[in-house]
Amino acid sequence: MTMLDELHQTCRRLLEEGSVKVVIGYAQSAPDEPAFPVFIDDVADVGQLVWNEWCLANLTKYLLRKDIRALGKPAIIVKGCDERALLVLERESQIDRAEMVVIGMACPGMGQPPQAVCGGCDVHQPRFCDITIGEAAAGDAADTRYAELDAFLKKTPAERMAYWRDELSRCVKCYACRQACPLCYCERCIVDKNRPTAIDTSATLKGNFAWQITRAFHLAGRCVGCDQCTRACPAGIDLRLLNLTTAKAAEAHFAYRAGMDRQAEPVIGGYSEQDQESFIR
Amino acid sequence: MARIGVFVCWCGENIARNVDVQAIAAAAAEEPGVACGVAYKYMCSDPGQTLIGEKIAAERLDGIVIASCSPHMHLKTFRKTAQRQGLNPYLVEMANIREHCSWVHHDREQATAKALDLIRMAVAKVRRDQALEPIRVPVTRRALVIGGGVAGIQAALDIADAGYQVVMVEREPSIGGKMAGLSETFPTLDCSQCILTPRMVDVAQHPNIKLYTCSEVESVDGFLGNFKVTIRKRARYVDIAKCTGCGQCWNACPSKKNLSQFDYGMGTRTAIYVPFPQAVPARPVIDPAACIRLTKGKCGICAKKCQAGAILFEDHDELVSEDVGAVVVATGYQLYQIGRPEGDDKLSGYGEYGYGRYPDVIDSLQFERLVSASGPSGGELRRPSDGQVPKTVVFVSCVGSRDNAKGLSYCSKICCMVNAKHTMLYKHKVHDGQAHVFYMDIRAGGKNYDEFVRRAIEQDGAHYHRGRVSKITEENGRLIVRGVDTLAGEPLTIAADMVVLASAIRPAERVEELAQKLNVGYDEFGFLSESHPKLRPVETNAAGVFVCGVCQGPKDIPESVAQASAAAGKVLVMFSHENLSREPEIARVNETTCAACFACRRACPYHAIDQAEIRDRGGKLIKRTARVNPGLCMGCGTCVAVCPSKSADLDGFTEQQIYAMLECLA
Amino acid sequence: MSETEAIRLPSPPAPLPQRGEGSRDEKRLPSSPDQPSAAAGGEGSVFEPKIIAYVCNWCTYLGADLAGTNRLEYPANVRIVRLPCTGRIDFNLIVKAFEIGADAVLVSGCHPGDCHYTAGNYHARRRWILFRELLDTLGIEMDRIHFSWISAAEGKKFQQVVSEITAKTRQMGPYRAYHEICQS
Repeated sequence: MTMLDELHQTCRRLLEEGSVKVVIGYAQSAPDEPAFPVFIDDVADVGQLVWNEWCLANLTKYLLRKDIRALGKPAIIVKGCDERALLVLERESQIDRAEMVVIGMACPGMGQPPQAVCGGCDVHQPRFCDITIGEAAAGDAADTRYAELDAFLKKTPAERMAYWRDELSRCVKCYACRQACPLCYCERCIVDKNRPTAIDTSATLKGNFAWQITRAFHLAGRCVGCDQCTRACPAGIDLRLLNLTTAKAAEAHFAYRAGMDRQAEPVIGGYSEQDQESFIR
Repeated sequence: MARIGVFVCWCGENIARNVDVQAIAAAAAEEPGVACGVAYKYMCSDPGQTLIGEKIAAERLDGIVIASCSPHMHLKTFRKTAQRQGLNPYLVEMANIREHCSWVHHDREQATAKALDLIRMAVAKVRRDQALEPIRVPVTRRALVIGGGVAGIQAALDIADAGYQVVMVEREPSIGGKMAGLSETFPTLDCSQCILTPRMVDVAQHPNIKLYTCSEVESVDGFLGNFKVTIRKRARYVDIAKCTGCGQCWNACPSKKNLSQFDYGMGTRTAIYVPFPQAVPARPVIDPAACIRLTKGKCGICAKKCQAGAILFEDHDELVSEDVGAVVVATGYQLYQIGRPEGDDKLSGYGEYGYGRYPDVIDSLQFERLVSASGPSGGELRRPSDGQVPKTVVFVSCVGSRDNAKGLSYCSKICCMVNAKHTMLYKHKVHDGQAHVFYMDIRAGGKNYDEFVRRAIEQDGAHYHRGRVSKITEENGRLIVRGVDTLAGEPLTIAADMVVLASAIRPAERVEELAQKLNVGYDEFGFLSESHPKLRPVETNAAGVFVCGVCQGPKDIPESVAQASAAAGKVLVMFSHENLSREPEIARVNETTCAACFACRRACPYHAIDQAEIRDRGGKLIKRTARVNPGLCMGCGTCVAVCPSKSADLDGFTEQQIYAMLECLA
Repeated sequence: MSETEAIRLPSPPAPLPQRGEGSRDEKRLPSSPDQPSAAAGGEGSVFEPKIIAYVCNWCTYLGADLAGTNRLEYPANVRIVRLPCTGRIDFNLIVKAFEIGADAVLVSGCHPGDCHYTAGNYHARRRWILFRELLDTLGIEMDRIHFSWISAAEGKKFQQVVSEITAKTRQMGPYRAYHEICQS
């Protein structure tokens, strides 16, 4: 049986026995196009679900939406990277695992041609799902995980600043990055706050820098590297680099990677008396 | 539109010398939202405060800025000024143009420009202050006293006599502290135990005092007026309720050669022992490291002899909980461990004095035990090595004190008097003996203190040599003390039978651990930090926690007792109200925008943030939110920094205020 | 009372720098004692850096008070923002400081273990460790952001830290890179 067949069979069963009211999964309108999310509540529609290298999106974002929650207890289809987001959301009291069925799909890598970022993945096989379909080699890319960032850091500070001035000049403050990210769930985002205005909302360099610094820092120790933000950005800004920075810092300094260990304490909000402080006089 | 009053103080000429106070008062008056700008010579004085009050009324001010000294100095003063005039005291801000400006910048133009900036920042801040009301907190009118030395005893008795319950926790098996081990006290040469033991008995018998000995504070939760203290009662291995103190056990104990801590190693005791005959409680304790039954499983003679069945070999530590409203710390001191291998890393020195190498080189507390009537030699001064009566004794001052190079930089305050006392005690015991004191200065500032030192020299014939000792060696059974007499201008060598080192006094062991549990600060030496060195010597920055005695700094018995009563007085002030007021500059969460991620809850050092649910009238859950407990929040603002949506904010230091202060510097 | 009141005088006396007059680089402040006045440089002006210091109320602020009590002189470029604890200081305050034209930022609080609120400085330190990396990737000049632990007893250290930061920032010049971003 193929993974897709197994998926269809599982979803039909879950809907028929009433364990879930809706399945959140992937569908396509044409074979070679990126898959879009579907919300299947009728057994007859389960055949719409697809599973292939076009299933790029991170569907966990939909678990927090009120209108989706109103549909009832969901089954959600996740890849290993998406599952990491589930762990972070659970730790941050945003979801209750008892209120959903998580179907994990073994994933060899997404994208046609295969995405570079998937080459550095070490969670091809989901680890904490209720139902797991397929098997993939776990992958261990510890040495290449931050290769892109390491290459970037070879530039001088002035070169880096010039690079970001260029990149962020294209930002139009559409906030697609925020909307796409499953970990950006604040109903009233800090950028929408105007008393005081912490972040200039206009699409000037000042506002763009402030926004991107804030978002990247709010993801410190939380970003799971699903890359939704980079894919969603209409201006093609390399948001991944910023997220890799804080992810690398969290791992290097605190041995922490978001969404890998269900018991680990989050990085921000905790501390150790041994935290290094060579830069503090 | 705001109506802010700006009041610029000359502070005599402290500020006016370097800052053009008239000019900045005028310039401040031009700022948007400022109704008036006034300069006056002494804002904190009576006429100054009256001026502020008049302006509040006349100009209908809704906020004031005082540009003067540090808020740590007078913010409370000016808050009261505002309150008296009917203006909410939290609509008051200060611009520190003295400590942070006129006192450190001598270029008048630069200092004036900075002062104006600081005033603008304060105006921006006060315009966004909210009127706040103090938070009322009920107070548990029971006190905890940590430490059962003379200071702790005094504080406990004062509070208990006022009618409130006191819980006293003492680490040793008996209360009494260092004073119980002294022979006589200066300047009266009173028998130390004779004046102390009645008070120790008072503590034991006082209906309002609950005494835990062999106990330590394990943890402290809560806050001012509402502390929950966990106390570890260490295993004593004797049930003191059943024990009658008959002594059969310690008389029969075969493990006899254990060094006595009470005698600082000058004497021995059995494994089951009462530390000293006047101990309170006068009940024995078993030293588990010395007890043959507890280490090897054999013996147990004490249990066989005990008619009361009070021996408990299976005893274990027990944790008990006490609710108190105030804590008094009176943990006392220890002596600087000279040249001993297990001493502190950063304090190792004076090996050249031979302490630990020559048995007849001892420190002042050990000398006290040797001359004490209840000591190991029954009050006859016999030297540790061979039991002979020493005919020449050298006392060395400032061992470890006043030494930046390898000791402690401070003066231990009591050693000059202790040395004088020791020369007199020595002379009274050994009439043909000769005492020598090597000193740097004589610090005898108390009442009858200088006369006391003169007595030691003139009546009791002590020889005082101004100079330090470089080295002590042993030759032919005598201790060769090499020093210098700077007044005579010559080196001076004395062959002594015994040397007593007046070692520095330091805070008790592990006091830093206790301080961190209580949230009390301490200096680099471990002395606990008072709120203000002159004006608030017994309070700490942890509300509801007070200090007294040597744990706050070197001092003698009269001062310790005075401070203890002072601390008790502060506790009684607290207890005189049914409710306490807490400062309202605390955090609050905007429950509408809170994303319920609870990063704030994880980060809060006081566990002051709860998970709360907002439900509609039908009981249906609308959302979850973080909620600050106003009784616990201490206003640090850590929650504000970690909140990703900035739903948490800190009254008195809001995001809007900080941003407004920055904007006016643009 | 004979003491003077000054209310709404027609115009403030001359020496005060007027707001909005000229660019910041041309502030007419005389050079401080430790630096010879730069006669060259166009208008005969000297660059006076703008330094914002976020300090905690219980340690560094008192340390600065102590520097004052001991009359320890230091340059007048720093503007202190008093906060209860370094734990209160979020990274966006540092960004904001640069946005309003600061050339350097100092963040200072109690030594680890001595925080008045027990752990605020530990939280702050953890944030700073991560935030510095982010700023580094962005190419922001790390030499312009300083962190220190200054206790209430360290008046001298406060003087030294502020003096060194001011001198260093003066040497580095204004933070044009970020200021230009904020003006574009």
